[in-house]
Amino acid sequence: METTPLLDMQAITKIYDNGVVANDNASFSLRKGEIHAIAGENGAGKTTLMKVLYGLEKVDEGRVMLHGNEVNITSPHKAIEHGIGMVHQHFMLVDSLSVAENVMLGAEVTKRGFIDKSHGIQKTEAIAKTYGLYINPLAKTQTLSVGLKQRLEIIKVLARDVSIVILDEPTAVLTPQETVELFNQLKRLRNEGHSIVIITHKLKEIKTICDRVTVMRHGKTIGTYDVATITEAEISKRMIGAEVRVERVERSIQGGKPILEITNLTRHHPGEPSLHDVNLSIRPGEIIGVAGVEGNGQRTLIDILTGYASSYEGRVLINGVDIRGRSIKAVRELAVSHIPEDRMIKGSNPFGTIGENLVSTTINKPAFNRAKGWLINGRKIRQYTQRLLKSYRIKADNTDVPVRVLSGGNIQKVVCARELDSQPSLLIADQPSRGIDVGSMEFIHRQIETLASNGSAVLLVSADLREIFRLADTIYVIYNGAFVGAFNNDGSVREDTLGEYMLGIKRQAFAKEVARRDAGNAAL
Amino acid sequence: MQAMQRFKSMYARVITAIKRTLNLGFVFELARTLAAIVIALSVAAIIILIVSDDPGFTLRVFLLNPLTQPDGFATIFSRAMPLIFTGLAASVVLRAKQFNLFAEGAFFIGGFAGAIVAIHVGLPGLLLPVVALLAGGLVAAIFGTVPAALKAKLDVNEFVVSLMMNFILLWIGVYFLSNVFNDERAGDITTPLFPEHARIPYISQDSFFTSGVFIAIAAVILVFIFFRFTRFGYNIKTTGDNLAFAKYSGINPAGPIFSSQVIGAFIAGVGGATEVLSHYRRFNWTSLPMYGFDGFMIAIIAKNNPLAVLFVALFFGYIRTGAVQMEIFTRMSSEIVTIIQAVIILLVAAQAFLMSLRKRLMMRRIKGLKHVEATVEV
Ligand SMILES: Nc1ncnc2c1ncn2[C@@H]1O[C@H](COP(=O)(O)OP(=O)(O)OP(=O)(O)O)[C@@H](O)[C@H]1O
Ligand SMILES: [Mg+2]
Repeated sequence: METTPLLDMQAITKIYDNGVVANDNASFSLRKGEIHAIAGENGAGKTTLMKVLYGLEKVDEGRVMLHGNEVNITSPHKAIEHGIGMVHQHFMLVDSLSVAENVMLGAEVTKRGFIDKSHGIQKTEAIAKTYGLYINPLAKTQTLSVGLKQRLEIIKVLARDVSIVILDEPTAVLTPQETVELFNQLKRLRNEGHSIVIITHKLKEIKTICDRVTVMRHGKTIGTYDVATITEAEISKRMIGAEVRVERVERSIQGGKPILEITNLTRHHPGEPSLHDVNLSIRPGEIIGVAGVEGNGQRTLIDILTGYASSYEGRVLINGVDIRGRSIKAVRELAVSHIPEDRMIKGSNPFGTIGENLVSTTINKPAFNRAKGWLINGRKIRQYTQRLLKSYRIKADNTDVPVRVLSGGNIQKVVCARELDSQPSLLIADQPSRGIDVGSMEFIHRQIETLASNGSAVLLVSADLREIFRLADTIYVIYNGAFVGAFNNDGSVREDTLGEYMLGIKRQAFAKEVARRDAGNAAL
Repeated sequence: MQAMQRFKSMYARVITAIKRTLNLGFVFELARTLAAIVIALSVAAIIILIVSDDPGFTLRVFLLNPLTQPDGFATIFSRAMPLIFTGLAASVVLRAKQFNLFAEGAFFIGGFAGAIVAIHVGLPGLLLPVVALLAGGLVAAIFGTVPAALKAKLDVNEFVVSLMMNFILLWIGVYFLSNVFNDERAGDITTPLFPEHARIPYISQDSFFTSGVFIAIAAVILVFIFFRFTRFGYNIKTTGDNLAFAKYSGINPAGPIFSSQVIGAFIAGVGGATEVLSHYRRFNWTSLPMYGFDGFMIAIIAKNNPLAVLFVALFFGYIRTGAVQMEIFTRMSSEIVTIIQAVIILLVAAQAFLMSLRKRLMMRRIKGLKHVEATVEV
């Protein structure tokens, strides 16, 4: 007989205001000192189930048992009192505050009526020491890289002395090294008696770190399995109901003028990672992958290429046009698409409908207008967006649903659908498959390959090496604002080799490498 | 035959469009607002019960007189008319998340400009009121560019600038009214009489129902179309919802930030001119009419939806008419209206109000569906 689990969620049903049944009689139980994964397609109800546990969503039916007693968790505050903490899928940080202030937010310690700042700093440093989560407590949050923001979120939760830690897709934005680090920290937490729930789309992670996995599908829990006794393929089969088939799209790099030409690009700007002397060119049909640990200048590069950052040295040509001085809009007009790092800030308008979001960058196209451009052609737009909704398998009844109510992965699909389907000549993709489930990821990757096979150039920046290995012809590693390595993605490069370059342990004599790459490409 | 076909397809399209709008969410929002109104009226009724010597009579006067008096409906619409304009103006500005209170000053200066044109520009027939209204809108829009441009170009807080503008325009207006356009013979601070053909006519001789109401309704429809069917409207909405996303999508936010404020000023200005040429024989405002501020309240209750603005403004017209009646016939003060407005605002703004009811309805419907599914499976 099994001992009573630490936590037992029984027959949970959660229906959102708009009638979506997000959890349908779902059950979940957690043992003390285990790392327990929740897997499932986008929109399966993983986040919702955990939000119910954390008191963010009110449960409609079912009950939650903690240490064998029924508890009624109605707010995150109560959840924390019961020792449950959660790190969200989307960051919940106040950008204008410092790290320490964010850590103490909502639990400030006061001294004579004033907030005791030194306490927050001490606490942050103490946690950093105990768990190896190093961070500068005085840094402004807005200057942090995504990886560090993630770390800050975890520190925030630990600062509340919780024993159950819920992590909603924590590794979606992390590099392999950061992931390994995170996992070491999680193991440390487990050994100290914490119990951990981790939602993830990366099945390999489940195999490496988790003890058990619960699979969800269409709001229901399909089952809980010991990780030791189940294979990745079996997990994904239970998630989707079918196996994921990887199909590559045949394509070749085409000759002719490069679509993107970057020469000697340099930018130094206070408070932002710099870029040193970057050279790169992408020809039609070519996919270039840029791998690197967050905060090494990738964002700066993308900001310049998309018209966000206007002061720089060097030159950027897109289809032969110098983009210096061009606005974001004017750069887009050169047929540039951009999948941004953060779907909730740049990438979408949560309050707009799916339809409005899908055409935000193409609404000026004559096909979508009527009456000499004065009016929007609602019917055309509806047809178009309805088609995208279907082909990208965005989980929503229709395109009039506000984006705000979609699950994280489905929002990402909206962003990808818009940017991939606008016939760009250059696609700049910042981790396009972030938070997307295995099945849909395969679809998105095929779309990107198709785009390239039709003659577009693709710059893929990703912390997710699987994605880079899957798509790129050539992999550049960026470290400290400069390219430190270039590799032909012909199957000979290994993940840990790239990792060494990403961490700055190794560095190529770069000019030689580029020459080799060009020679290699010429031989293709 | 073909006509029949076309009619059928159009009918089907209209039906789907209506169904799309009338989803549970919309119906519930509507019901919520109605419930808020009922509760607010009940609060007013309770106060009247406590305070009044003859509560039955007072209540009857307050609630029923506007509907039963011969001129009741005409008065409700007339009182609502300026509120429709300012409510619309505020809704456009708020859609872009701009906290610009210029509707007040725009309404004032628009009325003044309309009056001056009516008096001093010799135009024949219908042309005169039309030009006067447009002039009212235009002058307001021109002044409206000040807070708009300062915000769009220099990121100066539009709230402060627009609030100051209101008073600056008031005092400039009063100065010109008393020193330049004053009617010496009137013995008061006022312009001469408007020429008769400049005035916006009442529908019939014996009713106070001004045809300005139709102009207001036309404005509602135009604003509705603007947001539903034009790119400008889309850009304003997007900029208001998420500035970073608007920039990313290739919208230059300065455009919507500027134009929303100027359009708002234009609408309020036309409203001022309409009000002056409908309800006045000469222009004699020496204080701000306060319609602009009311407009913000209305836009908030209406959640910036232009059609809802129309109905909320009509409701305001109704309770204000009732309050005036009450003041005439009983000893109750008309201040009760302020309480009603405040209660409605609080309830409408409270997101959780009635949400649990909605939830229960939802559950029942879904359970019903599930039941059906289960039976089908068997
Ligand atoms: N606030 C909300 N209002 C209405 N529906 C919602 C809301 N949040 C989520 N949903 C819906 O509930 C379902 C489950 O969403 P949830 O976020 O739990 O999915 P998930 O399994 O976490 O997916 P993902 O892997 O994409 O993050 C989805 O269909 C989503 O559209
Ligand atoms: Mg989720």
